[in-house]
Amino acid sequence: MTSKTIKPFFLWKHLNKLRWLSLCTVFAMLIFLPYAHVYQTFEAAHAYDLLADSEKQLYDTMEAITSPFINDIEKDLDAIKGNTWSGTFFGYQLSDPLAALGQIFAGRSFYLPFLLTALVPVIFTIVFGRFFCGWICPATFIYELNTNVAAWLRRAGLKTGNRRFDLRIKYLVLAIGLVLSAITGSVLVAGIYPPAIVGREIYYAIALGGFGAGSVFFVITLLFDLLVARRGFCRYLCPGGALYSLLGRFRIFRIQRIVENCNDCAKCNAICEFGLDPLRDGFGQECNNCTACIAICPTDALTFKVRLSDVPNMGPGHLGKLYRRDKKDNGKQ
Amino acid sequence: MKRRGFLQKIVYGTSVLVASSLPFAFSRFLTPDVKADPTTHLRPPGALKDDDAFISACIGCGLCGEVCPPKCIRFYSREGGHKVNTPYINPEEKACTLCNKCMEVCPTASLQETPRNKIDMGISQIDRTACYPWVDRGICGACVAVCPLGEKAISFKMWGQYRPIVHDACVGCGLCVEICPHPSLPIRIVERSQGKVVRHSI
Repeated sequence: MTSKTIKPFFLWKHLNKLRWLSLCTVFAMLIFLPYAHVYQTFEAAHAYDLLADSEKQLYDTMEAITSPFINDIEKDLDAIKGNTWSGTFFGYQLSDPLAALGQIFAGRSFYLPFLLTALVPVIFTIVFGRFFCGWICPATFIYELNTNVAAWLRRAGLKTGNRRFDLRIKYLVLAIGLVLSAITGSVLVAGIYPPAIVGREIYYAIALGGFGAGSVFFVITLLFDLLVARRGFCRYLCPGGALYSLLGRFRIFRIQRIVENCNDCAKCNAICEFGLDPLRDGFGQECNNCTACIAICPTDALTFKVRLSDVPNMGPGHLGKLYRRDKKDNGKQ
Repeated sequence: MKRRGFLQKIVYGTSVLVASSLPFAFSRFLTPDVKADPTTHLRPPGALKDDDAFISACIGCGLCGEVCPPKCIRFYSREGGHKVNTPYINPEEKACTLCNKCMEVCPTASLQETPRNKIDMGISQIDRTACYPWVDRGICGACVAVCPLGEKAISFKMWGQYRPIVHDACVGCGLCVEICPHPSLPIRIVERSQGKVVRHSI
């Protein structure tokens, strides 16, 4: 059996762990920042002696965590604020491109300073594709855990939904949302965009003492994912995902199959959260470069390539073919 | 056969359209259009005067609330209807201290940077039939003592008696409302056009 072995760069296989680290960091920050805000409030009030015991506990804990890094609580803790919908990061303001687009439609005007805050995410999306969905989105963190829960339930013998719909529905959701925003004059897409909801609701729950209206909507999407379609909201309905897909259509970094190494095991298709078809080179604009398929591939047949478009279907994997032919030959002899 | 295919296409198209507008229907269902009481809910300082313009400019990121040192900025939830996720201040619970942090951090222009004496959240209105000094029920002056703008905004009436009088320089931050000891709150923040003294119809 002779086969050319092309080894992909060894690090690509471990990017999935890095991705989980990134997701966990973003989520942990979303929980930390409201507590930091509450702590700043106590600090601004100069009222340590008046705090209740639980509040004192919070104050002391936050002080222990933050004191090695900061000098001036009121100023320095303001360096990182907000959530993935819009936030400040050491003086730089970053916003979601969907926020900028929604605001353009709702206000029917361009406010340039705000649009510029979405510039860096847009450039990153043009280069890396829909990376936000896989690497940063705090809702992805919960949705992927939800996928695991669904797998456990299936293993326990319960039925979970695995329907498939048209992937293009989300573009219609985006279009309808923008039109409705223009008609009603409020940024409606913010109300159904999970990362915005998650960031906001965590803040409401911790700092303002109670979940808002969005949490119910988020629970509905979780149930939809669990009972109707795996990762259904992201795949079929998310307006932000639609925008990122459109922006990342001609992304430069994309995952590509090495047909010589592939043995047609189809594990990549099973793991793909977005229901794509890596086995037949069907990535398309929906791929979020989450690298789960690279991590699971048993024969190192997936790698990153710098290309502006996907390669057309390269046919069945050569390793699988060789394997089959070898088996046939052995059978004859 | 041709007709059946046509009908199938229509059904498919309709279902896709319904499916794609379902999330918006859900979010509307969760936020019924109920008006919150506007008398006690102020917009944060520097907010656009036209409330519709404010709602369309605000993306609901919550940054203003997250930097607010006294934590006075709250957000409309279900009761806000179409105002959902936009900020408000209820001075009866917690009032603005005019620190200007929310305007600096706002990524959109919905909160515009304004010097503290140019802010216009409203104006204090005093009910002279309830305020303790005005009805000769003792000495108070809490509102005058707490005002961040000082004498220009609220001061005592000439010849003392600790009767507070609001001036035009008042920006409506609401600290006087927060501190007022009277249970019925004879001092309130109202629209500038409604005047500085409550007019009773009787």
